Amino acid sequence: MTDWEIVLKEWPRLASGFGTTLLLFGISAVGAFLLGALMVGPLRSRSKIVRIALRSYVDGMRMLPFLIFVYLLFYGLPTFGVKLDAWTAGLLGLTVYHCAYVAEILRGAWDQLPVGQTESAQAHGYHGLRLIRRIVLPQLVLNTAPVLGNQLIYILKDTSFLMIITVQDLTYAASSIQSMYFVPLEPFLIAMALYWAISLLIEGFVRVVHGTAKERGLGHA
Amino acid sequence: MPEEVPVLQVDGISKSFDGVEVVSNVSLKIHSGETISILGPSGSGKSTLLRCINWLEKPDRGDVYLAGKRVGRKEDDQLMSDHELASVRTQMGMVFQSFNLWPHFTVLQNVIEAPVHVLGVSKDDAVVRGEHLLEKVGLEAKRDAYPYSLSGGQKQRVAIARALAMSPTVMLFDEPTSALDPELVGEVLSVMRDLAAEGMTMVVVTHEMSFARDVCQEVVFMDDGQVVEQSTPDKFFSNPQTDRAKRFLTRYE
Amino acid sequence: MTAGGFQMLLDGAWTTIWISLIAIVCGVPIGFGLSLIRVSRVPVLSQIVVLYVSLGRATPLVTLALFLFVTLPVFGINIDKYTAGVVALTLNTASFNTEVWRSAYLAFPQSQIEAARATGMTRALYFRRIMFPQMWFAALPSLVNEMTLLIKASPAIAVIGVVDLTRVTNRIAAQTYEPLPPILIAGVMYILFIGVLVRLQRHLEKRAERYAP
Repeated sequence: MTDWEIVLKEWPRLASGFGTTLLLFGISAVGAFLLGALMVGPLRSRSKIVRIALRSYVDGMRMLPFLIFVYLLFYGLPTFGVKLDAWTAGLLGLTVYHCAYVAEILRGAWDQLPVGQTESAQAHGYHGLRLIRRIVLPQLVLNTAPVLGNQLIYILKDTSFLMIITVQDLTYAASSIQSMYFVPLEPFLIAMALYWAISLLIEGFVRVVHGTAKERGLGHA
Repeated sequence: MPEEVPVLQVDGISKSFDGVEVVSNVSLKIHSGETISILGPSGSGKSTLLRCINWLEKPDRGDVYLAGKRVGRKEDDQLMSDHELASVRTQMGMVFQSFNLWPHFTVLQNVIEAPVHVLGVSKDDAVVRGEHLLEKVGLEAKRDAYPYSLSGGQKQRVAIARALAMSPTVMLFDEPTSALDPELVGEVLSVMRDLAAEGMTMVVVTHEMSFARDVCQEVVFMDDGQVVEQSTPDKFFSNPQTDRAKRFLTRYE
Repeated sequence: MTAGGFQMLLDGAWTTIWISLIAIVCGVPIGFGLSLIRVSRVPVLSQIVVLYVSLGRATPLVTLALFLFVTLPVFGINIDKYTAGVVALTLNTASFNTEVWRSAYLAFPQSQIEAARATGMTRALYFRRIMFPQMWFAALPSLVNEMTLLIKASPAIAVIGVVDLTRVTNRIAAQTYEPLPPILIAGVMYILFIGVLVRLQRHLEKRAERYAP
């Protein structure tokens, strides 16, 4: 059997791994974005305690390697009696880690937003979550589409770290096929091509959103 | 006959920034249907005063009453919650110097946005009213355009329609034409004139002397945070009482 | 945590540092060279660079490190895990650096280029004397940012057996049966390294602002 034939025979394994990667990516991307969006307001809160607590959390996540954070969740939490399985630890890690990055991206964009936007919204009776959701957030997202897109690609790539705690993602699948059949090249080529394809899709999506932004005069040219 | 409750009453408002008093003990009364203009040199506190009315700036001292109800503070002197303050603001329309249209919405979406999402008006009703208002300000053809593609004068007219869509009791204008190229000022003033003629209660901070003279019932002249002169346009423009007012007028005549 | 544990952490930290350092020292100039090819639009080569950058930025480090480690021996290149780790990190960071340098090049004010050409300077000359001295300063914050990303991604080399600052915590836990302390200390050490770089980046951003056109 040629190497390619072996890989073809093992396509369910690759498909399963790819499915796991996509699932982890999809759920954590949505979660990270929602949590990050919820966090921007409090990050700029008038309350000093809230602001400092969230600031420390965001700065901490941005100075910590993703894998160490996952290690903390997977190997560290059992010390406190909380035993997470690898999948849950991985998903939680991806979501909680990356929502800090999303929050920071959105916060930076909010600082650049003309103050008149929130003032005119307030003058029309908006406040709180509704103000953020209807008036501020759409503009922040349109203005930062390329940067958010980059963050999505980082989330995708970080899913591969989870194979180190034995989550059976795409890289794990490629690695298993390689070690079982001694076919080093093909499984990895396919895995890399798949990561590449998803990245290109994300970049395409970003181009569309960025185009929408430019139509409305947003997106810092 | 008992005096009718003024639509807007400002009592002894003072506001400081960084230790500098920008508004000093200003009091005003505006009755229904009146248009008053607030004039004065830069730094006289006019905009700050206006922004204290809808509490975009929190006054250090003094009170604001909208149709007899206190704004910003409750009966027990406690500060209103964000929610309560937002609710009061729906009754006051504000038009800003830099228009502040929401760029991610079309012109029509800008106008129906707050009525639908803050007041709970049905989308269909809001669209009908919105189209009517856009027609009123002469921009019904631009309903599906984005603010990005509009001129300054057009943006400001949309902003006026947007504020009117909330059916406010009083309209506040913060130097509405100061950011406009001269040839675009007229179209905005024209809309404001019509509004005044229809009986809208308006408070206008402006440098447009013609508007103050021709449209307003009362002129309030401010300098250094205080109300220096307050009278009808005829009296103010032809016979200013104070030196400061005289100096100000010579600069603009 | 025993004294031996601390020693192991320091060893792991050193491994992370030297491998990251080599990747950074190689990756920055390689990225620069590739960006030159790209902006000069050398036929064929610049297309290859575009491909490499696109693929390099999309490929997870874990996958790349594994790929190099198990595949290169097939082609007769016998590579030890440290070299595979360094090469993987370098290939990855160089692809990002290529874009950083390219952005700095494209952002360079056209007015200065025109002024230089008007005085008769050749392209090579004005690049060397006018553009590059300003460009590298403008690129520095993004390059430092990429360095922090590299260190944060460096635990990927653990997958091919390199005992870096992250993987060493497994080793320590295997001996002490207390996984939390070494992970926490390793976390703090990473935060310290990266914190220094982030501070440097902010400082450079402020200085770059002053020289902005």
